[in-house]
Amino acid sequence: MSVTVTINDRRLLALPEGVPLLSALNANHVFLPSACGGRGACGLCRVTVHGGAALPFSPAELKKLSAAERQHGVHLACQLEVRDGLQIWIPDELLRVSLFEVEVAALRDLTHDIKEVTLQLLTPPSIDFKAGQYVQLRAPEGPRRKRNVWRAYSIASPPSQKTRIQLQVRLVPNGLVSVFVHQELRTGDRLQITGPWGEFYLRENASELLLVAGGVGMAPIRAMLLDLLEKKSTRSIRYFFGAVSAADLFLMDEMRALERELPHFQFVPALSAPRPEDAWTGERGLITEVLERRLETDSQAEAYLCGSPAMIEACVAVLLRKGIPDSRIFYDKFA
Amino acid sequence: MKPTLEDVQKEMLPGVITRDGFLGSDPRTLEAILQDDNETVRGLGLTHALIAAKMRALMQAGLRGLGTWVAVAPHFVVLVDSVRGVLPCPFLHEGTFPKTRVTVKNTRLGREITFTELNVHLIEAHGFYEGQGAPFRLDPPTLAQVLEISGPETNSAAGQSSGEN
Repeated sequence: MSVTVTINDRRLLALPEGVPLLSALNANHVFLPSACGGRGACGLCRVTVHGGAALPFSPAELKKLSAAERQHGVHLACQLEVRDGLQIWIPDELLRVSLFEVEVAALRDLTHDIKEVTLQLLTPPSIDFKAGQYVQLRAPEGPRRKRNVWRAYSIASPPSQKTRIQLQVRLVPNGLVSVFVHQELRTGDRLQITGPWGEFYLRENASELLLVAGGVGMAPIRAMLLDLLEKKSTRSIRYFFGAVSAADLFLMDEMRALERELPHFQFVPALSAPRPEDAWTGERGLITEVLERRLETDSQAEAYLCGSPAMIEACVAVLLRKGIPDSRIFYDKFA
Repeated sequence: MKPTLEDVQKEMLPGVITRDGFLGSDPRTLEAILQDDNETVRGLGLTHALIAAKMRALMQAGLRGLGTWVAVAPHFVVLVDSVRGVLPCPFLHEGTFPKTRVTVKNTRLGREITFTELNVHLIEAHGFYEGQGAPFRLDPPTLAQVLEISGPETNSAAGQSSGEN
């Protein structure tokens, strides 16, 4: 039986009664963050429910939600069943997340384990996003996948390119989606994505920019740089790209071209363990060591970091020591 | 309702959480795998907690390397690599784990082992070392030898006897 659920006091949906709210919303193209397939394991699919404090909380919710959140009626959508008259609130930006049918327009190897994927948007034909945001890509059920699997990938192309986007996908051993992309995906294949997602995006102001990312962390940074180029930005920009050896470097020509095209852009690749055959003459050491050496104290810069939690935490510690406050440090923690 | 071992075994199949799953080509049931590894760990005079603790300590040390090899006394080098996203535990409880992969080389023995952060949890919380033939199967005696894990002699149980939590 269909019942009415109200979202943010203005959007009414007819949803089947008794099913998990998360899957019911997804089926009606209202997408909430989720990293565990609705098992209550990730705690991401939070919704605020009118009268929710009085509703029972599942064991998963008791673990994932603070007492304050429960008092405010916050629940996990995967743990809540649809019922008539349910009123929920979710961040407005989530109502802008859409489902897109896309076609693979091009595939290009950037390194031995990173592939660039260009996707042509079909339906809807364009996407509005901010440089730094990401999409979720679906690998369909198939011989090696028992169910649909979604994974997050940052958009590596600028927001001006609304009809065609690029992603950078790193091959993960035993990974469900990355192996699909690297070994099965072909140009012309049709896929689904959702987006745009994420709070990590370039803020528009005149601040000096510090960008720090290695590997596929470059993807959102590239989107930011191309966006800045198109907007003829005169901001002072430094991009510290950390890698282990020269084999991990990619798009170097593009970065060097941006150094010529953006008036105040400096690209600083740094290798932590260059091999003798790399004949490396650039910066050496961990990216944190390079930042420590190269950054001045009392910097007025705004920093954008993308990488593993360990890398982010280590870099944030350096930035704080250099006088850059929390409020000017933004990151996408890859978690 | 608590998930049964049968439910958990289904989550461990290829293509559910990871491409190759957690059971490999092992013909045994999950219950048998857990019991056999539990006995093996007991026979080594170790516990799942002890083994997991050593793995976790090496992983923490390796994280400092930010993707490069880190020397860890007395004679290990550790590489920790992280990729985006998290994985749920196949034992169907509340928990997701970063996709962190750890390679530990014992330079004295000339041997190395690779494991994931999820592996550490699976051993610590469930006494699960994966099935024979699984890509991240961790044989307890090999773990004990390469990571040089030793513990007090004990006649007590080595840890959980089943995977249900």
